[in-house]
Amino acid sequence: METQYWRSLAERENPSELARAAEAEFSENPLQQIEPGSSRRGFLKAAGFAFAGAALTGCSRAPVEKAMPYLVQPENTVAGRAQYYASTCGACPAGCGLLAKVRDGRPIKLEGNPDQAISGGATCAVGQASILGLYDSLRLKQPLAGGKPSTWAEVDREILARLRADGAVRYLSGTITSPTKQAAIDRFLGQFRNARHVMYDALSASAILDAHQQTHGARVLPHYRFDKAGAIASFDADFLGTWISPVEFARDYSARRRPPEMSWHAQFEGRMSLTGSKADRRVRTAPDEIRERLAQLAIRIAKLSGADDRFLSSASARGWQTTNDDGLPHVAERLWEARGRSLVVCGANAVHTQVLVNYINHLLGNYGATLDVEHPSRQRQGDDRALANLLDEIKTGRVAALFIDGVNPVAELPEAPGFDHVGLVVSFAGSLDESAERAHYVCPDHHFLESWAGAEPVAGLISLTQPVIRPLGATRAVVETLAAWTGQPVNAYDLLRQRYPAQWDRAVEAGYVAMEAPRAPVKPFSMAPVELALAATSPEPAAGYTLALYPSVAMLEGRQAYNPWLHELPDPITKVTWDNYASVSPAAATSLGVSDGDVVRIEAGAAVELPVVVQPGQHDRVIAVALGYGRKASERFANLGPRWIDHRPSVNDQGRVGENAAPLLAFEQGSLRYDRAGIRIAKTGRRIELALTQTHHTLTVPQQLGGEVRPIVQETTTAELGKPPEPSEQREELWPEDHPYKGHRWGMAVDLNACTGCSACVVACQVENNTPVVGKDEVRRRREMHWIRIDRYYSGPSENVEVAHQPMMCQQCDHAPCETVCPTLATVHSDEGLNQQIYNRCVGTRYCANNCPYKTRRFNWFNYPREDRLANLVLNPDVTVRTRGVMEKCTFCVQRIQEAKIEAKVLGTPVKDGDIRTACEQACPAGAIVFGDLNDPNSRVARLARDARQYRVLEDLNVGPAVRYLKIVRDGGQAGRPVPQGDKKNG
Amino acid sequence: MAEVCSPLRIPLIAGHKKAATVTEDVCRPMLRPPSGLWWAGFTLAFSLMLLGVAAVSYQIATGVGTWGLNTTVGWAFDITNFVFWVGIGHAGTLISAILFLFRQKWRTSVNRSAEAMTLFAVMCAGIFPVIHTGRPWLAYWLFPYPNFRGPLWINFRSPLAWDCFAISTYFLISATFWYVGLIPDLATIRDRLAGESARPTLRQRLFAVFSLGWSGSYRVWHHYEVLYLLLAGLATPLVISVHTIVSWDFATAVIPGWHATIFPPYFVAGAIFSGIGMVLTLMIVARKVMNLEDYITLRHVDAMCKLLLLTSSIVALAYGTEFFTAFYSGNPYEQFVFRNRALGPFAWAYWIMVSCNVLAPQLLWFRGVRRRIGIVFALSLLINVGMWFERFVIIVTSLHRDFLPSSWASYRPTIVEVSTLAGSFGLFFTCFLIFCRILPVIAMGEVKAVLHVGQASRPVQETTV
Amino acid sequence: MRSRILTIVLAVGLTFSLVLLASRLTAFHLPGNHQGYEPVQPIAYSHRLHAGELQIQCQYCHFGADKSRHAGVPPASVCMNCHKFVTAPLGALRAEDELAEKEKRAPRPVVSAELRKLYDAIDRAQPIAWTRIHSLPDFAYFDHRPHVNAGVACQQCHGPVESMERVRQASDLSMGWCVNCHRDSSRTGVAGRPVSPSINCSTCHF
Repeated sequence: METQYWRSLAERENPSELARAAEAEFSENPLQQIEPGSSRRGFLKAAGFAFAGAALTGCSRAPVEKAMPYLVQPENTVAGRAQYYASTCGACPAGCGLLAKVRDGRPIKLEGNPDQAISGGATCAVGQASILGLYDSLRLKQPLAGGKPSTWAEVDREILARLRADGAVRYLSGTITSPTKQAAIDRFLGQFRNARHVMYDALSASAILDAHQQTHGARVLPHYRFDKAGAIASFDADFLGTWISPVEFARDYSARRRPPEMSWHAQFEGRMSLTGSKADRRVRTAPDEIRERLAQLAIRIAKLSGADDRFLSSASARGWQTTNDDGLPHVAERLWEARGRSLVVCGANAVHTQVLVNYINHLLGNYGATLDVEHPSRQRQGDDRALANLLDEIKTGRVAALFIDGVNPVAELPEAPGFDHVGLVVSFAGSLDESAERAHYVCPDHHFLESWAGAEPVAGLISLTQPVIRPLGATRAVVETLAAWTGQPVNAYDLLRQRYPAQWDRAVEAGYVAMEAPRAPVKPFSMAPVELALAATSPEPAAGYTLALYPSVAMLEGRQAYNPWLHELPDPITKVTWDNYASVSPAAATSLGVSDGDVVRIEAGAAVELPVVVQPGQHDRVIAVALGYGRKASERFANLGPRWIDHRPSVNDQGRVGENAAPLLAFEQGSLRYDRAGIRIAKTGRRIELALTQTHHTLTVPQQLGGEVRPIVQETTTAELGKPPEPSEQREELWPEDHPYKGHRWGMAVDLNACTGCSACVVACQVENNTPVVGKDEVRRRREMHWIRIDRYYSGPSENVEVAHQPMMCQQCDHAPCETVCPTLATVHSDEGLNQQIYNRCVGTRYCANNCPYKTRRFNWFNYPREDRLANLVLNPDVTVRTRGVMEKCTFCVQRIQEAKIEAKVLGTPVKDGDIRTACEQACPAGAIVFGDLNDPNSRVARLARDARQYRVLEDLNVGPAVRYLKIVRDGGQAGRPVPQGDKKNG
Repeated sequence: MAEVCSPLRIPLIAGHKKAATVTEDVCRPMLRPPSGLWWAGFTLAFSLMLLGVAAVSYQIATGVGTWGLNTTVGWAFDITNFVFWVGIGHAGTLISAILFLFRQKWRTSVNRSAEAMTLFAVMCAGIFPVIHTGRPWLAYWLFPYPNFRGPLWINFRSPLAWDCFAISTYFLISATFWYVGLIPDLATIRDRLAGESARPTLRQRLFAVFSLGWSGSYRVWHHYEVLYLLLAGLATPLVISVHTIVSWDFATAVIPGWHATIFPPYFVAGAIFSGIGMVLTLMIVARKVMNLEDYITLRHVDAMCKLLLLTSSIVALAYGTEFFTAFYSGNPYEQFVFRNRALGPFAWAYWIMVSCNVLAPQLLWFRGVRRRIGIVFALSLLINVGMWFERFVIIVTSLHRDFLPSSWASYRPTIVEVSTLAGSFGLFFTCFLIFCRILPVIAMGEVKAVLHVGQASRPVQETTV
Repeated sequence: MRSRILTIVLAVGLTFSLVLLASRLTAFHLPGNHQGYEPVQPIAYSHRLHAGELQIQCQYCHFGADKSRHAGVPPASVCMNCHKFVTAPLGALRAEDELAEKEKRAPRPVVSAELRKLYDAIDRAQPIAWTRIHSLPDFAYFDHRPHVNAGVACQQCHGPVESMERVRQASDLSMGWCVNCHRDSSRTGVAGRPVSPSINCSTCHF
């Protein structure tokens, strides 16, 4: 008689699985578990079984797993195979094209769409992290009426009932790049006599549009073409980090930064921004000095151009004489040399300032070359003046109905508008944010991965958003909601398809379609506003502390405040996580008598209390504070992280992460001002221990300990690059040749000159590899889990500091120190040069981590809670979720290597260079990371490994790292004068 | 071991003892109920141990994260304690094996308790490699055993794997050595207990069993001494090997401050140094509490102080050599680590170490100091502290600032770690106090052999070993 | 006297339990080894009938095997390809026909009990919850593609499924079992063709 085994009482009893079946549509559903039955019969069976002595085998049985196939398999879906759908990122108005990776019915990763012009295959940190928003368990699952859950039918009826045709209807939204949606809104507002659509951007570029209204007669935002710019002067515009369209700009910018030909870049800024950290020439300039500097620059360029005596004469009449400070002469010179190929950008949201910028670009003949106003960008359309008017209307109770779409005015504006006098407030927010809380009705919109939509980030480029999963809640696309209220219900799909009938299939497949866009009605440049701007500018230098409010790379305006990945992402410059802070210059710190962590009180109308971060390279009069923190959405992190006796929460006393600095904003001449002059700042005496991922900031060891500089980050000059490299001295090899690497030999190259430190790779890696979030306290204890980190080192004097960003991941050493010491063979070498980490074999002695010269190994100090079952759906099923007590580290995305190798095997073709791209490489906008096969002499990585700039970190240790770094070129642009248009393959 | 002791020599045992009185003196504490002092000590030690048990249970239940470690400093208290206790464990074997081979008669009074100390110390040491792992329930993977994984063995290149063997071997040998030494005395006690009561008590049975039917006949003594000699020979290399292997945990790493060739001799010397220190601490207490002044005389103390002086000097030399090697290597990373030790954030630990291990012992050059129990006791305590800090300095200061400044970090122990350390001391002293109660702390058999009494009566020719 | 009885009782008890234990020991597995696992399935589907007698190719139903990690359990729609028409065993149909002839009436449609479950599932739009038999721990990644495309016969790992009424886990699926096959086949080759299966840890563990 053959025995029949069973794994649990549940199975022995064989209860019907139908109840459970509903829950489990995916075959790999991680949530699925069957609890053993405990009936009397079960007990008796157990007893009998135990007596039979087979408990020996019974006790070890795993819970029964169910395999639940589709009833009718959708076409070309195969369980366990990923599919990619072209879509568009909805995290910000930039509108990067995406490829959404869908695995067994659930999107698990977002990649850039290589063909779409804005993304070009890259993403930013925020875009990468935005997928978690889909699985946000606090998203609204149905409409709310007066804060109570309701149904769409009900909500529609009530709202329509309360809408008066004569009342003032206002539709407040962020920038809307979707023509379809714009049309829907217009159609909806068309029903009312007194209706207006007001757009504003929490990170406003309103002044740029207004300035062009004045100088070019059209309210447009130029499409900046950094890929055409040979010389760039940026005034407080963080275009590599957060300004307008960072992915596009970073990609274009770094395309021109490939030595030996390099563009030249000067940055005038008060705080140390990501962009400033890459500049060839960085001039510390307080926000209130910028317009004066620009005037100076304008005068110089006007002089150089020899034209325009009117401007010069009026300037001299107003007592402007050109001073020779701040390297302005040099900057003017470089810009003039590269005229027609140069670009001046400015982040200040002040019309007069922007007018001067336009004038300079006009003088340099950059319009039509590096600035496209005829096919402008639509990524910022907000109008601060209109917003100011609306707020005024609201205050005085002249608004009958207010619709809030995609913005959070209560948290984003200097003073929260009071809705008491507004008859009807409807919010379309997907989750209950500060504004939705106060709305009468909330009609939640889909997450962008659930909805059909179109975006036109740049005139002529229609980028499509298609749903990659059925809506998780009873949410409804705004266009559908509006249509319903307009009386002709229609679904978003039809609406969109009707709009682009001809290009539809192509558009859905490619994710975008290029259309012939009408030329924007720009007039020839008019001088008058420039005169006014100059008149409004005073040559006198300003004094006193100035507050600079800026968007941080992770939080932007704060719509991402729900996202733990972004809170734990170290700020690229300060390396602070889980907080915003007031950064001050070292000089200011001494004069204020504060140091890192001291809490200061900043008063400018409103007041906030924030910890200080001393920031080298910052202007001495500037206090910089990040917006987007202290949001309601961050209250969810109260219980984040491992719990144990010595655990401290990730939120502050108010139960939120950081402080909201928006109250410090102000309206000046109808535009939202992000810099406030004449603020008061005082020490409070409190201290906050910041959560830093890096506490020693230079490569110079402390003076009393020798003060030598370590060659971890290496720099060179274009002159050096010309010389032939001196042969490296031959070393005696004590190691046996035990790794022949017959087949592949995986390696990586990281171009430190290209890397902007934007940290997209860090989040991309976290998403791809199921890296846990550990929370503020654990970061404080230096236990963050990121597999790739970006080390940031300062050099030079603190007032004129140079910054180096160095992505640091496991170096996959040939003679890996970790491998020799692991007692259980949990980390061993593969015959393809990978340093493999076998989680299930690891007992966690941490010996490997101690012995790692690069300290890139990460240890699971606790079982990091993964209680949010919905959020767990974002986990990558191809990567093991590590348990407590095991070591982990960068694997070169071995799961992708395996996938590509298997596919190649199936097709019987060799793995081609570029078939395998690690998550970090794929996300990187600057193309700084290249992965490939070092054994293939023609692979990109092998070519870079032969580059004149290549070096390996700690090469003397002879651990043989598989990661090559390319040196930073410091005198950037010297060789690039004038920049040839030829191909830039080298580097 | 019976040999002629010249009557001219100063006697090893004071107070003109007779064989009987020796037995009497040694057994007295065992046979009478424990003193209040003992109870006090035991309560303290035992509660410390319980604290440790609580700490370790919490840590195993929650995760190694309950220790103050971080990505940069992956080891601190755990391995420090491990090396510290292994070090303590060295004196025993040294005294019993090496000094035995060198015919150092004075060892007889201290070897028993020194060996016991060794066992308990190694027990304490053994705990740490297990609990320091992230998944202690899988710690058995450090040993090779047949399996269905291909099969999959351990990494024989890893010093940590060597450790497992070194420590377990050392424990087994020391235990055997200790037990064999005990047999004659167990027999003595068995005989003393006999006739105490009509029905044999459990205690009697146990002594009867463990004394393996010792008859004390000439033949038995002969075999016994041969065996003892062989065991001594077997144990001697261990004294050197164990700590050499422990030192390889660091010496084979690439981390500056660990990666040094002088570690083996340096560690062995250090181990003996700390071991003798601990022996002194215990002995001085024991002789007071159990009034064994006649057996553990100033001469014993003096001898051990000399040993301390020697090993201290070796350790000092090692400290110096480390700095010289760093300087001479011309390797900036190497040089930095040592500057950082002496001047960096953990300088305080370094200077505690130097003053306890190098400066303080210099007093022992003076005979007067060596014979003043109070001072010697204080010194022995300082040495225990100093040697603990030596390991802490080596481990933590080397790790916390290694190659990449970006990953430099600091380290602060948590309450859990401190309790675990306290607990290990608790375990150690609990065991030792129990030992003092139930077994003879002095090897009576051996002591009797070095008494003056009976030397005359015993003809020379029959005393060949 | 008393003690003897006790001894006897103990002896009997001991032998009894030893006998019982021995019978189980033949089937003793280490924890995690589910060799011989043969659960009851919601529908008594017979591989012997389909794969054995009717000779239906494995990959007709398990179509994922050559293009995905998972061979996959076939969706009900695949069953319906045949069972739209085949509703009961031939015997049952014949019986019904004869009965109908006897009773001079048109034969009624016959539906077997097991297939009824299938039809119900489809009517109720309720996926069928099969019990998974071959399942590896989450830290081991097995991929059907390279094996199937290299020509490894399904039976090599899954055993003679075509002869199983109800599917049973034939191999122990232990790491050693995988690794040794990888080692050997690099010498022997698979289906006459040389292969180079990797024995890197990261082939299965990542």
